[in-house]
Amino acid sequence: MEQKQLESLLLTVQKPGRYSGGEINSVIKDKTKVDVRFAFCFPDIYEIGMSHLGMKILYSQFNARDDIWCERVFAPWTDFEQVMRQKDIPLFALESRDPVCDFDIVGFTLQYELSYTNVLNMLDLAKIPLKAEDRKDLSPLVVAGGPCTCNCEPLADFVDLFFLGEGEEVDLELIDLYKIHKAKGSTKQEFLRQAAQIKGVYVPSLYDFEYNADGTIKSITPRENAPAVIEKRIIKDMDKVFYPESFVVPYIEIVHDRAVQEIYRGCIRGCRFCQAGFIYRPVREKSADTINNQAKTLCESTGYDEISLSSLSTSDYREIEPLLNKMLDWTQERNISLSLPSLRIDNFSEELLEKIQYVRKSGLTFAPEAGTQRLRDVINKNVTEEEILSTCKMAFKGGYTNVKLYFMLGLPTETDEDLKGIADLAQRVVNEFYRLEDRPKGKSVNVSVSVSTFVPKPFTPFQFEPQITRDEIRRRQEYLKSCITTKKVTLSYHDSPTSFLEGVFARGDRRLGQVILSAFKKGCRLDGWSECFEIEKWLEAFSECGVDTAFYANRAREYNEIFPWEHFDYGVTKEFFIRQNELAKKAVTTPNCRISCAACGANCYKEGVCYEKR
Amino acid sequence: MKNVRLIYEKKDRMRFVSHLDMTRFMSRMIQKSKIPVWYTEGFNKHIYVTFALPLSLGFESNYEVMDFRFDDDNYPLSLALQALKGVFPPYIRIVDLIEPQMKAGEIAFADFEITFDTSDKGFEKKLEDFLNLAEIKVSKKSKKGAISEVDIAPKIKAFSITQGENTVLKITLPAGGKDNVNPQLVLSAMGEALPEYKICRGKLYNEKMEVFK
Repeated sequence: MEQKQLESLLLTVQKPGRYSGGEINSVIKDKTKVDVRFAFCFPDIYEIGMSHLGMKILYSQFNARDDIWCERVFAPWTDFEQVMRQKDIPLFALESRDPVCDFDIVGFTLQYELSYTNVLNMLDLAKIPLKAEDRKDLSPLVVAGGPCTCNCEPLADFVDLFFLGEGEEVDLELIDLYKIHKAKGSTKQEFLRQAAQIKGVYVPSLYDFEYNADGTIKSITPRENAPAVIEKRIIKDMDKVFYPESFVVPYIEIVHDRAVQEIYRGCIRGCRFCQAGFIYRPVREKSADTINNQAKTLCESTGYDEISLSSLSTSDYREIEPLLNKMLDWTQERNISLSLPSLRIDNFSEELLEKIQYVRKSGLTFAPEAGTQRLRDVINKNVTEEEILSTCKMAFKGGYTNVKLYFMLGLPTETDEDLKGIADLAQRVVNEFYRLEDRPKGKSVNVSVSVSTFVPKPFTPFQFEPQITRDEIRRRQEYLKSCITTKKVTLSYHDSPTSFLEGVFARGDRRLGQVILSAFKKGCRLDGWSECFEIEKWLEAFSECGVDTAFYANRAREYNEIFPWEHFDYGVTKEFFIRQNELAKKAVTTPNCRISCAACGANCYKEGVCYEKR
Repeated sequence: MKNVRLIYEKKDRMRFVSHLDMTRFMSRMIQKSKIPVWYTEGFNKHIYVTFALPLSLGFESNYEVMDFRFDDDNYPLSLALQALKGVFPPYIRIVDLIEPQMKAGEIAFADFEITFDTSDKGFEKKLEDFLNLAEIKVSKKSKKGAISEVDIAPKIKAFSITQGENTVLKITLPAGGKDNVNPQLVLSAMGEALPEYKICRGKLYNEKMEVFK
C-alpha cells in the first residue's frame, strides 16, 4: 500500500487520528535491526484500546528491549473497515504501517467476551487464516492474554496459545523461546510443544475434550507432554516490576485520556460476583514512594494534566493518605488534577473527600450493588445501609449534589423485594439530602441509579449459578422502573441482550468456536457497540450450529461438574468457591483478607496480603 | 502576564490532527516543557492557547501561529524556545517564538502549495486555463447556512504553476475573518476528477501583504 494513497483515504473517514499513528512517545525502530516483531492487537477501536493500562505496560516493556519491536493495532470503525475491504488494504500496525500478517507474533488482549468477533474480524482484515490449524507456519503466531483467558475455550480454534495471569514475565519468556525456534527454523508444532512447558502458557490444540451424553465435559486430556494443569503467572514484587516511564499520548480524545498510575493488584474484598476480585489474588501493593515517583515521571513525559490511580478498590490501599499527601505536593503546583476511581462506600473518609476536592467536582460514584442488606450479604459486598447513607451525607455536606449508585440485577436469590430495595435505598439517599440543614443552597439533588445485568463468571463463587433468562431480565427491569416514583432518582439500565451473550461465552467451551465463526461470517463484529450489535444474527448462528444457549447461560451447574476451565489453576481453589457458594445461599458474609484469611488458596504464591504483618 | 507567539510547521502525520485536538495537544506539550505559563482562571482551569488561523483537517502547514501567555513577564523567550524544541515530535518543527506584532484579526491572505501527483502536461495546461478564467462561480455556504453564488476569480491574489515529477500550484487566497477562500473550494470549481493532491499552507499576510508576525 502506498503511503500517499492510504493518507488520502484516511481523509475520507471519521477521525483519521484513529489510524494515522505518529503520536507522542510512540516507538519507531529499524525493522531490519530487530529479531521479533510483535503486533499488539486490541480487539476494539482506538479510543477504547488506547485507554487500556495493560497494553501500555507491555508495549513499553517489549520496546525497552532492542531485539523486539512492538507496535499497536486496533479494530477499525465500520467506515474505515469498508474502505479497507473495498481498496484491499490489509490491517496494518500504526507505527510502521506494515501489514499485520508480516509480523512474527500477533497478540490479542481479551478484556471482554463481546470482543471475540473483533478478534476474528481483525485476523480476517489482516489476511491471516482464522483457524489455528490452517496456519501451518511458525509465523504469524497468534497469541492472547488478558482476564478472559481464564476461560479462553470459546477461542480455542483460533488462537495458537494463551497466557494465563499477568504478562510481564511470561510474555518475554515466550518471545525468547520464539526467537530460538525462529533461528533454528523449527516447525510450528515443535515450537508449540516447547511453549506449553512454560508456566502460564496454554496451547489449546494439545488438549482433547470428551463430553458426556448430557453435553457436559467428561474429561480434559493433555497430549504430547503438555501439563495437566496450567498455572497462572503472577508478579511477586510490585516495586520491581516494569512500569512505563511514558505513555503514547493520542491526538484524538480517548475514553480515559489521562495518565494512569497502578497502585496495587488484586482485591481483599471477595465480592462473590466479581471475577477480577479472585483471579488477581493475592493483593500485592506498590510502595507509596514507588507510586509517587512513577506517577511524577509519567506526568512529565506525557504532559497530561490529569492522573488517576488505578486498582480494584482505591481506598483499600493501606497508605492512601500519605500517598495522596505526597502526590498533592507536586500535582497542585503543576495544575495536575488527581482522580480516585473505585472508591468504596464504607471506608470513604472526610479527609479523602477533602483531598479529591482539588479535582474537578463532577460527581461521586459508589457501588452498593444490591438493594437490600440480605442480598448484599449474599454477594458479600460487606456494606451496610448506614454506611451508604452516611457517606452520601458526607458528600452532600462537601457540596456534591450528584451521586451515582451502581447496582446489579439478576443476582442469585434475587426477589422483587430486592429490586424494590434499590428504589427505596435511592429514595433514602434523596431524603438524606433534604434532611441536611447545611445542604448546598438553591440546588436540587440527583441520584443516578445505574443497573447492569449480572453475568455469572468462571473463578467466582457464582460460577455454578444460572443466569436469569432474557424475558426475566426484561420483566425485572420493568418492575424496577415501576418502583421509582421520584424525579430526583434517574434510572438507567441496558436493555440490550448483550449480557445474555456475555453469559453464554463467559462459561462457554470450545464447541462455541463454530458459533463465533458463523456469527462473524454473518457480519457480526463490534458487538459491544449498540449501533453494531445484531442479536438476530447471533441467534441464527446458534441455531444453525445446533447450540443451545440455555445450556451455557441459564443452567445450574453441579459442584462436581468438570468446567471448561477445570484445567486452569488461578491459586484460588474450587473447594473455596463451593464453600463460598454455600455461605451465599445462607446470606453469610466472609470478612476481607486483612481481617481474617478465608483460606482461598492464593497463599500458595507466598506473596502479598497473605504474608502482610498484622 | 505576557503574550507570546509560537510559529511552527505542522507536517506529515500531524495533518490528521484536527483543530480541536491541536488545542489539547499544544497544552500538553507546554505542560511538558515546564515553561511558567498562564492558566485561565475559570472553573475549569487550563492553559490558555489560541490559534491565529485554524487549519483544515488534512492540510500541512509551513507557518502555523499559536499564541499563549507567560505567567512571568521576565521569562526569557530564548529559554522557552529551547524548552519547547525539546518536547515536540518530529512532525512539528518549531520555527520561532516571538512577541506578537500584529493582531490575529489582521490576517487577510494565505499562501497555499498544492502538490498534484501527476506530471501530465495536459493537466498543467487545464489548471492554468481554469485559474485564468475571468469568472469562476462557486456556491458557498455562509455560517448561517444560506447558500450563495460567489465569483472567486477576482479573489485569487496570485498563482504560479511548476511541473517536474509532480505538478505544483502555488496560490495566494483571501484568508481570515473578513474573507476566506479555501483552496479546496477553488479546486472543486474545476468540476472534474483531479489527480491525488496534498495541500500545504504557507505564510500568512495582512492587507498590505506583509508577513503576519
